[in-house]
Amino acid sequence: MTGKVVISGMGVVSSLGYDLETFWKNLSEGKSGVRKISLFDASSCATRIAAEVPREFEEYSRSLIKKRAAGQMTRVTRMCLVAARQAVTMSGLDFDKEDKTRCAVIMGVVNTGNSSVEKDTSAQNTVFKSMTNSMPAWISLDYQLLGPNFAINTACASSAYAIAIGMQMIKNNTVDIVIAGGADSIINPEEINGFNALYALSVANDPPECASRPFTAKRDGFVIGEGAGVLILESEEHALKRNAGIQCELAGYAITSEGYNIMAPMRDGEGMAATIEKALQNAGVDKTEVDYINAHGTSTELNDRYETMAIKRVFGEQAYQIPVSSSKSMIGHTIGAAGAIEGIITVLSIKNDLMTPTINYTDPDPDLDLDYVPNVSREKKIGIALSNSFGFGGHNATLVFRKYAGN
Amino acid sequence: MAKITEKTRIEVREIVLAFFAEECEADKSQITDNTSIIKDLDGDSLMFLELIEIFKKKYNLDIELKTIGKYAVKHPIETIGQLIEMQMLIIEHENRLLELDK
Repeated sequence: MTGKVVISGMGVVSSLGYDLETFWKNLSEGKSGVRKISLFDASSCATRIAAEVPREFEEYSRSLIKKRAAGQMTRVTRMCLVAARQAVTMSGLDFDKEDKTRCAVIMGVVNTGNSSVEKDTSAQNTVFKSMTNSMPAWISLDYQLLGPNFAINTACASSAYAIAIGMQMIKNNTVDIVIAGGADSIINPEEINGFNALYALSVANDPPECASRPFTAKRDGFVIGEGAGVLILESEEHALKRNAGIQCELAGYAITSEGYNIMAPMRDGEGMAATIEKALQNAGVDKTEVDYINAHGTSTELNDRYETMAIKRVFGEQAYQIPVSSSKSMIGHTIGAAGAIEGIITVLSIKNDLMTPTINYTDPDPDLDLDYVPNVSREKKIGIALSNSFGFGGHNATLVFRKYAGN
Repeated sequence: MAKITEKTRIEVREIVLAFFAEECEADKSQITDNTSIIKDLDGDSLMFLELIEIFKKKYNLDIELKTIGKYAVKHPIETIGQLIEMQMLIIEHENRLLELDK
């Protein structure tokens, strides 16, 4: 065994598209998926904007998922299943040729989206729609997989945790293949009012597409996004044996907790820095090798300040040479799905040697002085890239991706 | 104990086939007694319970779900034909269903 873990497939559902090609094109062009909320009447909410998955997704998902099963899933669960199917298709896996006991499904799930916005919930499907294990369960049902199958909830780091745990399960030879990712939507009045009460959300409603502005002086909170991201993780040996198209290597990870505060990150990004350090160690990557960081970059006062401080703490002077960008400027904060969706963006950045921008970067915060890839994508040879995810409750994760040198 | 007529038998069959065709998006004409509910139609066990509720209302049946559950454990259902036969027995015997095993 080489001990390496590789990514052989990816699938995404987001406000900027529900196929990988459209999603990447829109990100590369610096488009925003943030709009006025259409899922419910948000006129009485302080925040009236979000990055919703296009309405057409409903029809698309119904063409892929049978009516009976679709009726037992929430809209978010359907996003997850569709992203998983895309990822499996891209990977070229035929599970009938695999040892299904060595195929795992791990999903980061904060909630299933069975809120007041969810349609057609009845007494008979409410349990299925609410079960937080439903997303990995439906995926395993789809392919009759027999290996470990579970959901992880570590708030905004959930799907990054899922990927990290998946990698570890492959490395310790528990399984050969892991379908890892997550899906989420908190675009509903209960969550929006709740986050507004914590002053966590942007209230810059007009124009919507300019509200998410990470690392700028005018940032005023995160913008809620929704969607799903799923990756196929495999041992390199397994992927090579079946001639899979390897997209990237997942070189390492760190998952930590801060033991500090239910909402605020540890002062000066101390916990974030420790996470990045551990991830680099885990991957065996020297700090000088890091070419790009896909930031957690929420557009909140504290995250962006502390994440910047953390990067400087880890990399010192070299931090100024490492481009850092926030995908949340375009797709909002997809909560439980963020780690996976942004992990996919990081993989695509490595594959395409292109860093997607931090859009709406018009008023730099003088305290935040890194290279945030302002407003337009930039080409750069990327060998190693990091993806950060930091969640309420002090759940931190950093994933390390490396360009795959083989096929 | 209700008497099962040919009319009832046709009615039950029609309801079952229409239910599975609708829920599983299947061609009704392709569903036969040998069709597997799970393997061929991607159906689930809850569908059986939903059908029982339909028949309870339609025929004003006096039967508890736990009675049906106990009977079904000993007489598992895999195909549409088996399900139709079970529904007929439920309509015919209601809460005395378990006496059939004595």
